[in-house]
Amino acid sequence: MLDMQDISRVYRTDLVETHALRGLNLSVDAGEFVAVTGPSGSGKTTFLNIAGLLESATDGRYLLDGVDVNTLNDNQRSRIRNEKIGFIFQSFNLIPDLNIFDNVDVPLRYRGFGGKERRQRIEKALEQVGLAARMKHLPSQLSGGQQQRAAIARALAGNPGFLLADEPTGNLDSLMARQVMDLLEEINANGTTIVMVTHDPELARRAHRNVQLLDGQLASPDLFARPAAADDVDLQPVA
Amino acid sequence: MELRPILSAMWRNRTGSVLVAMQIALTLAIVVNCMFMTKERVDFVNRPSGMDIENIVVADSVGFGSDYEHDRTIDEDLRLLRELPGVIAVSPTRSIPMSGSGSANGFAGSRDDDAPRHTANYYFVNEDILDALGVKLESGRAFRDTEVRRADDPDLDRLSPQVIITRALADKLFDGEPAVGRLMYDGLGESSEVVGVIEHMFGAWVSWSDFDQVAMFPRRTGGTQTRYLIRAEPGRRDALVPLVETTLSEANRTRLVRNVRTMEEVVSNSYEGDRAIATTLSVAVVLLLSVTGLGIVGLASFTVRQRTKQIGTRRAIGARKRDIIRYFLLENWLMTTIGIVIGTALTIGINYGLASAFEVEQLDYVFLVIGMFLLWLLGFLAVVAPARRAAKVSPAIATRTV
Repeated sequence: MLDMQDISRVYRTDLVETHALRGLNLSVDAGEFVAVTGPSGSGKTTFLNIAGLLESATDGRYLLDGVDVNTLNDNQRSRIRNEKIGFIFQSFNLIPDLNIFDNVDVPLRYRGFGGKERRQRIEKALEQVGLAARMKHLPSQLSGGQQQRAAIARALAGNPGFLLADEPTGNLDSLMARQVMDLLEEINANGTTIVMVTHDPELARRAHRNVQLLDGQLASPDLFARPAAADDVDLQPVA
Repeated sequence: MELRPILSAMWRNRTGSVLVAMQIALTLAIVVNCMFMTKERVDFVNRPSGMDIENIVVADSVGFGSDYEHDRTIDEDLRLLRELPGVIAVSPTRSIPMSGSGSANGFAGSRDDDAPRHTANYYFVNEDILDALGVKLESGRAFRDTEVRRADDPDLDRLSPQVIITRALADKLFDGEPAVGRLMYDGLGESSEVVGVIEHMFGAWVSWSDFDQVAMFPRRTGGTQTRYLIRAEPGRRDALVPLVETTLSEANRTRLVRNVRTMEEVVSNSYEGDRAIATTLSVAVVLLLSVTGLGIVGLASFTVRQRTKQIGTRRAIGARKRDIIRYFLLENWLMTTIGIVIGTALTIGINYGLASAFEVEQLDYVFLVIGMFLLWLLGFLAVVAPARRAAKVSPAIATRTV
């Protein structure tokens, strides 16, 4: 599903060069739930941006579903983001002036679906996250957990094969965080690949695999590992 | 089309949009009415005068010496002026048409006391007046030189037996019937026979409603003052101006020659106020459009800055650059259109008010269409740069927490 080989990302200004990623190698198989952890400045967000085609690597090769993304132009990258990737952001990133229905509708409009199909997809996605009754609410009328679930519905509505979550519970209290994680696990159990960036080791433990980044490099490829879809197996640190 | 969500978002965040829509509405109302009034002024200034204004030179002569002889001076001046190169015709006159200065009197088409009287500008001219003004004789004939009363004529102050009038005056006096051969009466009951009717010419006052009611009598002006209308061949007018001044000045030292100028200058002075109004209105239109354009640019730029994260999110979840540009163009088009709809009602209302209060003509709706198109174009152009800036927002902004 996701194959990164020797990925580097350098941010340059007139005065300094910052190496956010240094020769990162990472593969994620279809159906996996991978947590990416690391301290601040370790390159987690840069990794997520590159994985989600939000920015390009300075060097290296990135294959997404077998497609070398370095060869794609801006429009093609937009299309892949729209069709193959679902994004879940730490601060939800819902559009405050649109109700939940219209928020979920945004990527579907870019996809070019007709009105009827969009409505069906939106209703299904909102039902899946338990917000069918709140579709006419504005984001400001929902709790943080509900907003994140609405954002997940937006990510799911296009049926992406790959979900990228950036600190999905970072702005939530523990109860809501648990609910969102339950939902992500459910989505993953239905076959969607999830890569989740988090600094929370408790959340990372709920993933199948945890990779840790340190100074833009993979510190430990499999800090916690468990077989996919084996929810009842105790998590053990990998030496 | 994503009109509904855009409208919905605009409604929830309406202060800026409403202000700009109102600005557009007011701009449309003011711009359309200003354009219409400007066009009215321009049409007013450009009304056909019926005269060959571009080729006429005018000059004033004022006798002052004790040995000044009026008739002899005029005889000599006419002879000298006619001999100047490029001169087609010369006529003495008491006043210059379209100069803002002249005389008028009431005339009737019959001797009856209750016959309606019509005011007309009148001029004292000679037999060459039709050629000197370049006016077109519609029926009848020009004056004969024998019909022109000299200044020393004892009957000078009585109404001349012959008169040439404009078609507009003839229609008023004789209800559209043929005028040549008919008698025209002044307030004292004296009459003149209409010997000719000219198609059209202006009287003294360009803003007068009866500006084209003109009568010309074959006689000289008494006293010591006279003016000359000198018509030149095309292209020779400007050379004639200094020549007229030196020729007349050197020919007779008992009078003063002054104000030798082109008739174009005379007419231009008369329309100075109208041109000033047209210019002021045009400048106001340009300024107002500029301010409105800047207002749209300002709001769009502010909106783009305010929504940077939202734009990044849209890009992250699949919007192409052109989708972002289209979003802002569409949003602005909606705002402009709402402003235009309100502005259309306002435009018609203002015109109605102006028409009632100041006798402004009813709006020609072509100007409304032009105004709408201008504002749509302005709205589009004003938002292009901010929309392009928005499209450059990186999708990676979506993952930034600040």
